[in-house]
Amino acid sequence: MSNETKYWKGAEELNDSPSFQRIKNKEFSEYIPVEDFVGDENIVADSKTSRRDFLKYLGFGVTAASLAACETPVNKVIPYVVKNDKINPGIANYFASTFSDGSDYCEIVVKTREGRPIRIDSNIKSPFTLGGINSRINSSLLSLYDGQRYKAPMIDGADSDWFTFNSGVKKAIEAAISNGGKVRFLTNSITSPSTLKIVNDFIASQADADIKHICYDPVSFSGTLEANQESFGKAALPNYHLNKAKAIVSVGADFIGNFPSAARLSSQYAEGRNPEKAWMSKHFQFESSMSLTGSNADVRVPIKLSEHGKVLVALYNQVASMLGASQLSSAKTAYDEKINSAAKALVKAKGASVVIAAANDKNLQLIVNGINQLLGNYNNTIDINKAINLRKGQDAEVATLVSEMKAGSVDVLVVSGVNPAYSLPAEMGFESAMEKVKTSVVFALRPNATSAKAKYVGAETHFLESWDDHNPVEGHYALSQPTINPLFDTMQFQDCLLKWTGEDRKYYYILKENWENTAFANQSEYILFEDYWNTCLQSGFETMNVGNEESVVEFAASLAAPTSAINATKGSDWEIEFYQKIGIGVGNQSHNPLLQELPDPITKMTWDNYLTMNPNDAKENGFATEYGEQKNADTVNLSINGQEFKNVPVIAQPGQARGTLGVALGYGQSIGKENQIVGINFYPAYNGLKNYSTSVSFESTGEDYQVATTQTHQTVMGRTSVIRETDLNTFKNAEKDDYNPAHVLATHHGPKDVSEIDLWAKHPVKGAGHHWGMSIDLNSCTGCSTCITACNIENNVPIVGKDEVRRSREMHWIRIDRYFSSNPVDVAEKNYTAMETPEDNPMVVHQPMMCQHCNHAPCETVCPVAATTHSNEGLNQMTYNRCIGTRYCANNCPYKVRRFNWFSYQNYSKFSALNPAQDDLGRMVLNPDVTVRARGVMEKCSMCVQMIQETKLTAKKEGRSVIDEEAKTACSSACPTNAIQFGDLNDSKSVVAERSTSNRAYRVIEEVGAQANVYYQVKVRNTENKA
Amino acid sequence: MANKIIYATYDDDMVLLEGAKKLVAKGIHINDVFSPFPIHGIDPVIGIKQTRLAICGFIYGLIGLSLALYGMYYFMIYDWPMNIGGKPIDYFYQNIPAFVPISFEFTVLLAAHGMALTYFIRNWTLPGIKARNPYPYTTNDKFVMEIHPEDSDVSIEELTKQLNETGSIKVEER
Amino acid sequence: MHQEAAIREPLVLGEKTYGQITDDVLAPVVGKASRSWWIVFGISLVMALWGIGCILHLLGTGIGTWGLNKTVGWAWDITNFVWWVGIGHAGTLISAVLLLFRQKWRMAINRSAEAMTIFAVMMAAVWPAIHMGRIWLAYFVFPLPNQFGSLWVNFNSPLLWDVFAISTYFSVSLVFWYIGLIPDFATIRDKVTQAVPKKIYSLLSFGWTGNAKAWNRFEEISLVLAGLATPLVFSVHSIVSMDFATSVIPGWHTTIFPPYFVSGAVFSGFAMVLTLLIIMRKVMNLESYITIKHIEYMNIVIIVTGSIVGVAYLTELFISWYSGVEYESYAFINRATGPYWWAYWAMMTCNVISPQVFWFKKLRTNIMFTFFMSIVVNIGMWFERFVIIVTSLHRDYLPSSWTMFHPTYVDIGCFIGTIGIFFVLFLLFARFFPVLPLNELKTILKSSGEQYKKIDE
Repeated sequence: MSNETKYWKGAEELNDSPSFQRIKNKEFSEYIPVEDFVGDENIVADSKTSRRDFLKYLGFGVTAASLAACETPVNKVIPYVVKNDKINPGIANYFASTFSDGSDYCEIVVKTREGRPIRIDSNIKSPFTLGGINSRINSSLLSLYDGQRYKAPMIDGADSDWFTFNSGVKKAIEAAISNGGKVRFLTNSITSPSTLKIVNDFIASQADADIKHICYDPVSFSGTLEANQESFGKAALPNYHLNKAKAIVSVGADFIGNFPSAARLSSQYAEGRNPEKAWMSKHFQFESSMSLTGSNADVRVPIKLSEHGKVLVALYNQVASMLGASQLSSAKTAYDEKINSAAKALVKAKGASVVIAAANDKNLQLIVNGINQLLGNYNNTIDINKAINLRKGQDAEVATLVSEMKAGSVDVLVVSGVNPAYSLPAEMGFESAMEKVKTSVVFALRPNATSAKAKYVGAETHFLESWDDHNPVEGHYALSQPTINPLFDTMQFQDCLLKWTGEDRKYYYILKENWENTAFANQSEYILFEDYWNTCLQSGFETMNVGNEESVVEFAASLAAPTSAINATKGSDWEIEFYQKIGIGVGNQSHNPLLQELPDPITKMTWDNYLTMNPNDAKENGFATEYGEQKNADTVNLSINGQEFKNVPVIAQPGQARGTLGVALGYGQSIGKENQIVGINFYPAYNGLKNYSTSVSFESTGEDYQVATTQTHQTVMGRTSVIRETDLNTFKNAEKDDYNPAHVLATHHGPKDVSEIDLWAKHPVKGAGHHWGMSIDLNSCTGCSTCITACNIENNVPIVGKDEVRRSREMHWIRIDRYFSSNPVDVAEKNYTAMETPEDNPMVVHQPMMCQHCNHAPCETVCPVAATTHSNEGLNQMTYNRCIGTRYCANNCPYKVRRFNWFSYQNYSKFSALNPAQDDLGRMVLNPDVTVRARGVMEKCSMCVQMIQETKLTAKKEGRSVIDEEAKTACSSACPTNAIQFGDLNDSKSVVAERSTSNRAYRVIEEVGAQANVYYQVKVRNTENKA
Repeated sequence: MANKIIYATYDDDMVLLEGAKKLVAKGIHINDVFSPFPIHGIDPVIGIKQTRLAICGFIYGLIGLSLALYGMYYFMIYDWPMNIGGKPIDYFYQNIPAFVPISFEFTVLLAAHGMALTYFIRNWTLPGIKARNPYPYTTNDKFVMEIHPEDSDVSIEELTKQLNETGSIKVEER
Repeated sequence: MHQEAAIREPLVLGEKTYGQITDDVLAPVVGKASRSWWIVFGISLVMALWGIGCILHLLGTGIGTWGLNKTVGWAWDITNFVWWVGIGHAGTLISAVLLLFRQKWRMAINRSAEAMTIFAVMMAAVWPAIHMGRIWLAYFVFPLPNQFGSLWVNFNSPLLWDVFAISTYFSVSLVFWYIGLIPDFATIRDKVTQAVPKKIYSLLSFGWTGNAKAWNRFEEISLVLAGLATPLVFSVHSIVSMDFATSVIPGWHTTIFPPYFVSGAVFSGFAMVLTLLIIMRKVMNLESYITIKHIEYMNIVIIVTGSIVGVAYLTELFISWYSGVEYESYAFINRATGPYWWAYWAMMTCNVISPQVFWFKKLRTNIMFTFFMSIVVNIGMWFERFVIIVTSLHRDYLPSSWTMFHPTYVDIGCFIGTIGIFFVLFLLFARFFPVLPLNELKTILKSSGEQYKKIDE
């Protein structure tokens, strides 16, 4: 067993009474009179049992025993002593809760089975997160069952208990207060009002003491906060309403992928990207390395990092000139005509447009505010009144803290929810400073760089085990509730804090009390608090109108100073950007194998971070630009801000601005049982928490490095029946056949649509009962990859690790094919070799691809043992226990969506380090409704048949037919933009049926005649000329 | 007297054939001929009828064919029809094309093995059976005629004389 | 009796009597094995053991020990399968088809050719078995009654057709071969003197007496079995080719596959027969039975089939262009110019261009050159299957899934292993079985024997 999880055999052992102690060590619990039987001669003498008989009995006994042994042993069964009436075996319970780790925030619904959480979905009812969720959030489930978690508090590296821990910390704090030392709380951006209340009350109660609470974000927006402070006297993040924005100009902001509440922004964004509606937003992206957002932009302009500010100033001036406002002094940029068209679009959509920049730089953000002010976007598409409470970290405060620590004046440092020793730049020297702190207390889920240096390590409860509340945006409150008892001897930060402040109640009661006094007092609907509380718990959130309503903000800031500062910025030949990946983000969950194996939506790389570089730059420097099983990446020794990084793999990234580089943060932490380090930690060079640096240089090492990519070929090779796209004008004005022509074949009856041609008569079950189908909108799919992790968790998809991914053996049932556009001329000339290389600044398509459940499935006809057949409901089903693994079906699948179990992933030692199914704790994440596939068996997307069946059964029990959008798949329910829709094609009123007959509907490589049940919607770009 | 059997050995198949013709002309019945390889033309001379193995083969083949077709009808159409790749499952004739290969193979399988089995049994050549050829050399390079004198009433001496005339290199009676 | 035109070259050289034929052919059986035999046997045995080791590793750990991936689900495994089956075609073709056509020259080679067929088909059968993810459930492919009730196999699947085709072909060839062997075993039985071999051979000979009626039946069954085996030969590789032809993968979905595969099979089969016989006639001094004439005849077959194969390649190319189907045409452009171009051109040179040199009598009657060519052809035919399977799979419809295939040492080991086992079996055959059909040879001695031809003149 790989962890110390204790399963007690019975109540006796649990409360370990002395009587039980006595019995435990005896072989036989009660006295057996063997001795005084055998010992006594004459008993033996006049016993009737002869040797013969004895042997007879012996023989019989042995036979009986061996017969009895002929049964499969039961390994571990822990029945309920008293059955919990809430928990029915086989029936899932759902709990509303909230995820908030300082960088991501989402209101969620947790699915539990037999009392253990097995899936995290978004809370679609939430008016704030709008059902948005991302892969980091739904994968956070796995960190609950992480065998590497702290299982008890530790003091000086030795296991301890909470009493000693808390009393120790309490003493330390009291001591610090008494002798006037500093006490510092360093936490992530806490969104919980109750927690803040506790902290602030404590600080207030010790008025004379020097106690401070500092919020710290590894990737902070403190530039924005300062800018807004200066512009509107309010240090908060604005709340965007992208769904209202007709024109969006982003300068380096990856607002879909990595941004406060990115998940909700992406669902808003998708809302405005629907070409069927009256208007479709036009999206300009000025950025350096290609971000997920950039890959979705209509117009993407690669610019150097040092020019972000200049572009903004230029944009400001263009807009100003169009609106007849006063301009700022600015130098020309190379992109003026692009900026001009952006400005035109913005002005055209005056009051319904948004300008966003991500740079953690006050000056830039001031210009951004200026532009938005000019355009009158505030209170329309941007709300600064009801501001966002995420990422409240002030870099200055963190800097002060570290200097205080260096000075040795900090007596007690309490760290929770962050890992500064890992994520603060080396120049600040946090680790050395930490040694000067008398008492350091660190709360952590699993060992990390900071906890390693701490005196007191608090084993933190996972958010799925703890109570909390949240206030992500003014006027909106949400609750986190535990969905399982703490697995280990852990305590949540708030409870400890209460202990230290001498409060003997648990956090839960404080929380409730707090809600009673504030939220409950604010409403009039409920008379009893318990009713109110339960409804809130059930829905997971509560919205109330507090704070100043729609008060017009005063924009009071001079842009002269920032402008001159921006104009003064110097670029250099090479500039490097610190970006975050979709899977790993700021690195809070870099130990999560699900996220490590999640392919990056742009590079399709897994299990690594690397140096991204424009392909042409790469070629000029003699670096490889293609990667595969035997095509390795070249490595460089990289130096950023004086920090040296050895053997950094170089990945050629089409769309990367020439002369710019990119490295992902959040890597370089240990993962898995063997604690191998994945990737390289670039935080040490993250000076001033600025998103880029101009002091960078690299030299080739001449060595190469194995990289694991899930897609070795980048372009679609001009195959128009795989990807179909058009531009808005064509879509609006032209005929269907101009952008979505049907495949017509010549038959002896004359030309016929492929969908009508059929070798055989219609199948008897067609048109009867359900016919499950899917519709995927290439327009609203942003490629965020949330569906992949959702599918992995729901269907127990094995994690196979870097080496297997490198051999193109990833097991993902759903993948997102990312195609870069190749040069149109080559496509026209069918110059295949040239088509293989993407354009320098390519257009990108993200295409989710899973089993298409073809009605005439090529895979089915070739299986010799009929292990894959078609269900009456149009599903292509795999019978695992019938499969003998000839792989013929996979070969004959035109979509290549079938996955083969090359090894026994749940037993083979190669995977023991990363496959959760290989350790008793990790195994608890498995979905009991889905088989764990054996070695040598073919598997593939089942359209979550277990979920379909569940829906049908509920409907049946309630004596009704299945309602549209009631049946969901893991991917469709996870999709933050509703790009993936699932439903019944036979139900003519269903969304899928509608979409499948729309003008944009097409089936991938329909001419093969497989008659797929998955319909895609043509991608429509809001560009002038035909794409 | 016990039934004597005469074995006349020849060292050439042609000589034996000619000799056989003469003897048969004289009305002597030749019971059997042992040779290392088939002597073409000997059968009619000594009155051996053409074997009917081929007909059995044909019958076995027919059995195979009908078995295969019925089996596939039973498995695929009758017993448990499944929707496999949208192919028709309700009528046999719709599926015939897919059944051709196996029908053929199974026909051949039964025809060949059935025939082989019949062949072994009729020849009484099966593992562990003792050989009944009079001299070892009949499987090498000698040819032997077997004659039961009493079948064609001729004295052994007379027969021996005639055999020697036909060029037999050795005549032996057992 | 049947007389043969004097201009035909004799098929049996030198002054031979029936007895001498027996002695010549049985020399290795009764005598001691030569040194060269032991050397070759030793090498093959090592290869065989190495291969068995690899196969055990494969079965123990999983198919992942091969270089396959999500896109290329078949590579060396099925390549080798088709290659071996192809080789396995010559034997039955020679003994059956040529028997029907009364080609006497077959008699020198058909016995060993059939033996080769049997062993090659055995090696072929290894691959579909070990390429299964769960070989321990291999019996699922037979329509066996089972406790699941109505759970049968899928008769639409070409793979199932394969199961029947291969098993039929193997068992029928085996029977055909053995029935021919029985009289010769009888000969050995009556020739050997040591007790143990006598026992064994008499067991093997099923107590054959060789009386007239038996011979009568013998000739009948040989003829009918030949008649059955002939369509069988053609059907087997046609069905193998349907594994590909009935699929939807561009480069596989091709209607000319059956004839194309069959001729390819004969092509490679004859090449393998040549490889083996040229060694055998030397090692076991059978020069006077396996003559230059035989070799020349086989070379002619090689030219013909090689040319048919060449035409097939060109037809494929033409059709892929003529069809105007994007994927089809790309599949073939990719074969010739894509990452696997070298495989394609290796195939082209070995199979289409090189056999054409046999138009020159000088070359096709040159033993050493023929031997070299026979090896070349077999390499070429292996590449043909590799090209068809891997280069079609590795880049099919969706470019996102395009990958490459890289063999591991297990792939290579298993292949070498089957070659080793094959040679072990064949060498044992050459050592203990009559490598020439005695009874048949003796029937043609007078019609095609050299000295008799002299007499006729």
